[in-house]
Amino acid sequence: MSLQSVALWLSETPLALELADSNWLFGTVEALHVAALTLVIGSIALVDLRLIGVGPARGTAQEVLERLVPFTLVGFGFALASGSVLLFANPIGYSENFWFAAKFSLLALAGINALVFHLFAQRKLAEPGSVIPRISGAISLSLWLGIVIAGRWIGYTL
Amino acid sequence: MSLLVDFAAWLGTTSLSALVIGHDWLVPAIQVVHILAVAGVLIASLHIHLRALNLLERDVAQEQVAARFLPILWGALGVLAITGLLLIASEPTRAMFRTIFWVKLVLASAASLGTWAQGPLALRFNTGGVAAAPAQRALAVATLLVWLAVIYAGRWIAYADAWAGAPA
Repeated sequence: MSLQSVALWLSETPLALELADSNWLFGTVEALHVAALTLVIGSIALVDLRLIGVGPARGTAQEVLERLVPFTLVGFGFALASGSVLLFANPIGYSENFWFAAKFSLLALAGINALVFHLFAQRKLAEPGSVIPRISGAISLSLWLGIVIAGRWIGYTL
Repeated sequence: MSLLVDFAAWLGTTSLSALVIGHDWLVPAIQVVHILAVAGVLIASLHIHLRALNLLERDVAQEQVAARFLPILWGALGVLAITGLLLIASEPTRAMFRTIFWVKLVLASAASLGTWAQGPLALRFNTGGVAAAPAQRALAVATLLVWLAVIYAGRWIAYADAWAGAPA
């Protein structure tokens, strides 16, 4: 089954038809997506800045991680759920959109970066002066900035 | 409304408006900065209010949490004001002629005040900085809900109808 045929099938579902008809529903889900995204970005930025060695987050990098990652996960859960609903609004348009593909590629890279951090870099947090957590934080911050940029550009290029 | 019509007409003639309109990529770029600033407002407010609810940084005095995050709130609000003005300049006849835009501004002002008030309230109730008074807990829940309403109202500007007789 090709991406186009999946997109075509999604576009004919009741949810897709309802989203196409209702500004109220689409706008509400979009607002939820923005709120969830800002929670993800805000919490991740504080963690990443702490890894880099700056920002207002208090405590060690490990403490900041433990304190803020639950916010990131809750925000990401809502962003994923609302984003999945938004997908139904224009599946064919999204499947052909460069920025949509770019956003998901950057999301995948951010996921890989988080996994690498968890498996290899997190243990370096206790080592004073280690640059690996700093690099991981800088990469994460850059990727999430790219995700926001790509996400906003989707709206202008559909 | 005539004052707003005059302001929109004047704004449309400024070089700022011409600059923003003249570059296709500038409006979404400004919106990206606007969204990042919303993230700053949200995370700063969350810290201050969740501390008042005893859900975050319980071992730190409330006024210390406020002192750390209020500068982020004010800075982010400043960025929101500047980017918001640039977005209005990109389309002067749009946001200002929709009720939801003014609702958003009133709600954002109320939520900013509610967030700022947590520090002074902690001192006022003299809770030793660690515990939070019931009034602060109520303020925390109410203000966080108002911030969510601000985000909702902001997104809704794109869908709301303009006032009857507003310039096209």
